[in-house]
Amino acid sequence: MNGAYRDALERVSRVPGVRGALVVLADDGVPVVEELQSDVSGAAIAALAAALFRRTGLAAGSADFGALETLQLEADGGQVLIGGAGELIVVALISDDAQIGRARVEVVRAAQSLRAGPALS
Amino acid sequence: MRSTDLPRIIAALKEPIQLFVRDSRVRVSLLINRSGQVLAQHGFTSSYEVMNVASLAAAAHASSRALADITQSGGWTHLHHAGERHELFLAPLGTPVEPLILVTIFDSESSLGLVQLFFHQLADRVSGLPELQSARASADQKSFEHDLEAGVERAFGTRRDA
Repeated sequence: MNGAYRDALERVSRVPGVRGALVVLADDGVPVVEELQSDVSGAAIAALAAALFRRTGLAAGSADFGALETLQLEADGGQVLIGGAGELIVVALISDDAQIGRARVEVVRAAQSLRAGPALS
Repeated sequence: MRSTDLPRIIAALKEPIQLFVRDSRVRVSLLINRSGQVLAQHGFTSSYEVMNVASLAAAAHASSRALADITQSGGWTHLHHAGERHELFLAPLGTPVEPLILVTIFDSESSLGLVQLFFHQLADRVSGLPELQSARASADQKSFEHDLEAGVERAFGTRRDA
């Protein structure tokens, strides 16, 4: 199963401008696998991204928009892309000069492939 | 930790524990020493409840430490119990005077990752408190019970003497 997570992450990480990617337990906010530059804290990104995704998902549900599939957070220095995969989320950290469209496609694909995989429990 | 140092240490720990609770969105938190002496609390409504949780947490910490020794795991960083509705997180944090233990209970408003993240910030804040830099460890076991009760009473603001 770990191989499936690694494969999903590799596809995301290969996109030029992607600074790192993680597969995270959605409820716990704990990283399952990560490929990050050494100056980035995987634990912090995982915890905050999962909290953000969960809360935005609640807001989407309250607005009757259905389940949240992807979340794109734009900041001055880059972007955070999050794709929902059931019990997991896929998180990508993206530089401003990255191919955003391609990164987005790969995050969605990674999430879809994890969602189609066997359940964690 | 000496009882004479307690009032200013308890006062100094109030802000770090409040920040931790606010940032991590946990329900209740307790900061104790290895003897179960209460130094800070947030969210508990009765001192009886605090006493029980503090003594059980101190026992759990001692058991975990013994287990870590037996298995040569080299200590442990945290203990996490996931219940159906609530989760318990127990973790030791080092201070210049003696190790403390954070006990916290959270639900779906928070997560294990968030608690771990803000626990590290709490540990940094607490270990940097000047009040802990100048405090000294308890000299003997005689004052244990007195300090235990004094800790709970001060954490609830019901004790005034120093």
